[in-house]
Amino acid sequence: MKLTRFNPTALARVSDFDEWFRHPFAGFPSVGQFFGNLPEFLSTGSTGRLAADIHEDKDHYFAQFEVPGVKKEDVKVELNNQLLTVSVEKKEKTSEGERSYTLTRSVSVPDGVKPDGIAAKLENGVLTVTLPKAEHRKPKTIEIA
Amino acid sequence: MTTCCNPTDTQTETRADNPTAKPRYFVDGTKEAYEVRVELPGVAKDGVSVNLEENVLTIHAKRKSAAPSESKPLHRELSDLDFTLRLRLNTEVDEEKMTAALEHGVLTLRLPVKETAKPRRIEVQ
Repeated sequence: MKLTRFNPTALARVSDFDEWFRHPFAGFPSVGQFFGNLPEFLSTGSTGRLAADIHEDKDHYFAQFEVPGVKKEDVKVELNNQLLTVSVEKKEKTSEGERSYTLTRSVSVPDGVKPDGIAAKLENGVLTVTLPKAEHRKPKTIEIA
Repeated sequence: MTTCCNPTDTQTETRADNPTAKPRYFVDGTKEAYEVRVELPGVAKDGVSVNLEENVLTIHAKRKSAAPSESKPLHRELSDLDFTLRLRLNTEVDEEKMTAALEHGVLTLRLPVKETAKPRRIEVQ
């Protein structure tokens, strides 16, 4: 008889993406879920793979990702057909040498965003992507004549 | 190294009376020194305090919320708790020679082992 390890976390991940369907950023499930599920590769967020926070103010959306230990040149932010993809290459030093792996997260970008104005900043291990809202998405007050 | 003292231990708590999270950390050790790497995303240099007392290393870090102040959250996965990490060292280290550096949200500590604690050969007469 052989004892093998039961890893329920792999199954739990798939249900995460229904949370995304409730607001403008609803999109594809984290592509990174399919990259293997060794626990030491998970980042600290609840989805376990490049966790993200989304905020908005009246002119912008902000997407933040926790990427400690990652340098600017190891981060790639791409926008392809309204899909914003953030890929991060993490290098870890172990006693055997260096090990590197990639983490990635995709979110679909609503049409209420101006694609040319998207900016990304990496500070203190946090990547902030700023997406300016297109005019029709900004809140407007309507004057009563 | 082992982690000791759950942050919720009340008799040893003098700071951090608000709940804190334990950060991811890695420890590499050689006979010469320990190297501790702690992942502290969203923490600036002035938000970290490192304390070594009676062989217990305590790291406390305050996060700076990177979200712009006027914004409204739409989806939250990241936590905004501050970090606390307590590690018990099983070998004595020389605190005078300890170094700490914070870069890209990762705190790297180098703790050289005290000379007297290094392994020694004893000659048999």
